[in-house]
Amino acid sequence: MAEVNPTDAIDFDRSVIGVEVEVGTHEADKDRMIAYAKALGETNPLYLDEEAAKSGPYGAIIAPPLYYNMFSLQGGLDPNVKFGNTGFDGGQHVEFFQPIRAGDTISATTQVASVYAKTGRTGTMVFTVRRTTFTNQNGEKTSVMDRINVRRDIQK
Amino acid sequence: MSQVYFEDVEPGYELAPLIKEPTREQLDAFTKAWGTTTGRFVSDEAAQTEGFTGVILPGNMSMAFLAQLMTEWAGSEGKLKRLEVDFRRSILPGDRLSCEGLVTDTEVEDGENRVILDVYIETQKGERALQGTALVILPNKP
Repeated sequence: MAEVNPTDAIDFDRSVIGVEVEVGTHEADKDRMIAYAKALGETNPLYLDEEAAKSGPYGAIIAPPLYYNMFSLQGGLDPNVKFGNTGFDGGQHVEFFQPIRAGDTISATTQVASVYAKTGRTGTMVFTVRRTTFTNQNGEKTSVMDRINVRRDIQK
Repeated sequence: MSQVYFEDVEPGYELAPLIKEPTREQLDAFTKAWGTTTGRFVSDEAAQTEGFTGVILPGNMSMAFLAQLMTEWAGSEGKLKRLEVDFRRSILPGDRLSCEGLVTDTEVEDGENRVILDVYIETQKGERALQGTALVILPNKP
């Protein structure tokens, strides 16, 4: 019997896949970066101590790697997945390039990289992967992040 | 801080765990830096309507603990290149988290000393709340 791809049965807007859109910019503020690092319990002076950071390799305070999560950005295109009665944040896959320095202007673009369904022991889950690319004012990438949203049916 | 070198590690090498016991105050400081003022990370009531006992930590907060484990281990000469984490269970303020890493492979590719690790956060209940992989570049021994 030919194998059926479970994704074929899922109703979503296939036209948005791979379409990159701008979702905003973020001014990296030193005080906010320090507050973030402190809340995490970071101890690296490059994140916390302006004097130490100035004489360090980047010449300014830098942010811990996942600081991009603090940006408030637009959502990007919506694949409008019609499946399940609940959704949750399934995880993040990220690649790091340049660190974010205090005073940087970071611009972000997002695309829906993929939508796929998987059927396992607990039923079918639909995964939406949104890929966001963060770039600083010099045109250097700081990170590329895949955020994975999962939709499923929970029996109530 | 002492620097770890590529020659020091091989598959099976375990990192010293980073222990985190995030408090409600830390979570509130985090959501404040984020600018989040409503929802399951801020309000017990909102979290309870979603079936939690109270506020939970954002996945990107606990994932940042794994990033801290990696960057502290890599040291000033090493670099965290990739972190891929799946969120499996929710974490509450007051949980005791052991952030751990295990080297699974090493390779020299494109002139980079690559170390591939399994990473995870285990709670005091022995559950893996976050699990994933990391790629860290380490310097050669001088």
